Amino acid sequence: MRNVDVVRTALGNTMRSKTRTFLTVIAIVIGAFTLTLTSGLGAGINKYVDSMVAGFGQTNQIYVMPGMDPSQQMPTNGEPQEYDPEEAAATGEFGMQMLTEDDIATIEGIDGITDVEPIVFVTADYLGTADGDQFVLQSLGFPSDAAGMEMEAGTTPDPQAMELTVPETWLSAFGTEDPNEVLGETVTIGLKDMAQQEQTVEAEIVGVSQQAISGVGGSPMPSSALNEELNDVQTSGLDVEQPKNYVQAVATVENLEANETAIKQALSDEGLMGLTLEDQLGVLTGIIDTVTWVLNGFALIALLAASFGIVNTLLMSVQERTREIGLMKALGMGRGKVFGLFSTEAVMLGVMGSVIGVGLGVLVGVIGNAALVNGPLSGVAGLSLYAVDPVSILLIVALILAIAFLAGTMPAARAAKKDPIEALRYE
Amino acid sequence: MSAPVLETENLVKVYGRGQSRFDALKGLTFEIHEGESVAIVGKSGSGKSTLMHLLALLDEPTSGVVAMDGRPVSQLKPAQVSALRNDTFGFVFQQFFLNANQTVLENVILPLKIAGVSASERKRRGMEVLEQLEMADKAKNKANDLSGGQKQRVCIARALINQPTVLFADEPTGNLDTATGEVVEDILFGLHRDRGITLVVVTHDDDLASRCDRRLLMQDGLIVVDDRGETAKAAGAGVGQASREGSRQVGGHGKHAAPAPLDGQPATGRDAGTGTETGEGQA
Repeated sequence: MRNVDVVRTALGNTMRSKTRTFLTVIAIVIGAFTLTLTSGLGAGINKYVDSMVAGFGQTNQIYVMPGMDPSQQMPTNGEPQEYDPEEAAATGEFGMQMLTEDDIATIEGIDGITDVEPIVFVTADYLGTADGDQFVLQSLGFPSDAAGMEMEAGTTPDPQAMELTVPETWLSAFGTEDPNEVLGETVTIGLKDMAQQEQTVEAEIVGVSQQAISGVGGSPMPSSALNEELNDVQTSGLDVEQPKNYVQAVATVENLEANETAIKQALSDEGLMGLTLEDQLGVLTGIIDTVTWVLNGFALIALLAASFGIVNTLLMSVQERTREIGLMKALGMGRGKVFGLFSTEAVMLGVMGSVIGVGLGVLVGVIGNAALVNGPLSGVAGLSLYAVDPVSILLIVALILAIAFLAGTMPAARAAKKDPIEALRYE
Repeated sequence: MSAPVLETENLVKVYGRGQSRFDALKGLTFEIHEGESVAIVGKSGSGKSTLMHLLALLDEPTSGVVAMDGRPVSQLKPAQVSALRNDTFGFVFQQFFLNANQTVLENVILPLKIAGVSASERKRRGMEVLEQLEMADKAKNKANDLSGGQKQRVCIARALINQPTVLFADEPTGNLDTATGEVVEDILFGLHRDRGITLVVVTHDDDLASRCDRRLLMQDGLIVVDDRGETAKAAGAGVGQASREGSRQVGGHGKHAAPAPLDGQPATGRDAGTGTETGEGQA
């Protein structure tokens, strides 16, 4: 028998007992549907996390912060600590360890690190528009986030120029809804120096940002130059030279994958700690993956149940068609082809179930995602709950076909073993 | 004289073992020549169906040899045996074994489908054979919608589609009324006569048996009569007659009443060595 005839005959046979085929296929559909939905959910949320990662900045960066010395973090262990004037100077707000200029130099000296950008906290008071309105500036973005920022209009600020971006939620402050209208506008940033004197710095708006999940783009973000200027203003006003301290520094690394361990080790030798984005988000993606696999597990159980449906259906079919099988064998159909015919029938059930199930899963996933993301969850920028991943869909179909084939082997073997004489005996 | 198409040597078939041992065939040796029409007759349990199954290569003997065109079949692989059946045999059964859901044409072309013939060729040959049996107008009907006689015609069409050299018919008229049965008989013997197809018929029907060139009467696993009577229509036996002369197993030659028990010498093998058991057992 030609393969095309085997497939055609198998398909025809599954259509003979439509109700039974329908019910068996439904069981497979449920499994395929669930599996498509759960894996799509995993893919969607991971995609969201990925966009979050992208929002944090370039992935060839290591965030460097002072190493945690437990004895210093826990001052209550009773023993007196020896006073070190240098360290004391580098203790910032809330007793947090800060990076000193020396630390920055040390980081710069580590092999593989091409660039270090210290992050300074600037606390500004207000942002004044050209019209003279002033708005409270609760926080400013970090210039190091610029790379991952999604722009509604304009560009990210030039690190060397006195520029900044504002989030789209700030458009109302400028009395417009068109993000392009605010581009080029000059604003003033007001802040206090060390002597509590109000100072202002002028900057130009060059871009309107969208808020990403990570929070990047959610507040006005100065360029590096502007940020430094603001910091200078903030720390000026007294005649005493203020030591420069930084919360953390962003180190750009050459070939992060290869150098990651070595650099982390070098940092830790210097009493510093380096964390990559992956480190920071690893826990999160780990949890998402676990949840996805648990959900996939349930879908697999559904498929397992469906596979017994296939076994049952085919066993009945073999039983009912004993004579037909006998006839085919008498007419010269070999065992292998009989086996092939019935396992193809099982695979056909798998094909129908997986195509319908995966199709429904994708449909429900895409529609549900659109409904949720544009509806109740529209506030979360860049959120995706479901993503179509062609590779995993192909894998799901392949898996279901494999399960269907396996389920079909037992009935197919039974059919292949039928003795034509037994089968053709008259009752 | 034509060559034997099928021959057997000391054919033994035993079912079960110990207490339930049943000797269905007790050592048969005979030949069927090309173009012969042979009726295997006998009571239920006499071993005639078992014999047909062995001849049709549907089953393997416990001992002994079945040879096809002079080649022992036991030397062939199962796949080759299947191919041989598909290629050279046609089967007609008492119960039609038609697939009720398929059309007449689809039923008829099943052997070609198994053989791997292309769809267009299948259709062409299927229509051809249906035309010969005057069933072409029913080609698209469901097999279920046919009368018994029509169904058997479809079965014959199916048996003929691979242009077999041997046609096995197991009670071909058993399920049909007399008139329809006669039509089917006419078709079978017409094919035998016109195309020289070797016909092996298992039947209870004396009338059908008497139309064959030769009758093998089975009893208790032995051929008790090998009757090469001339009752078969003289005109229809052209090929068959030629095969008769010179054979040493012509014990039943000239006997007329087909299934008359013990009226002739017991059928024996070609030589005493293998045939003794058969012969002495019944004498």
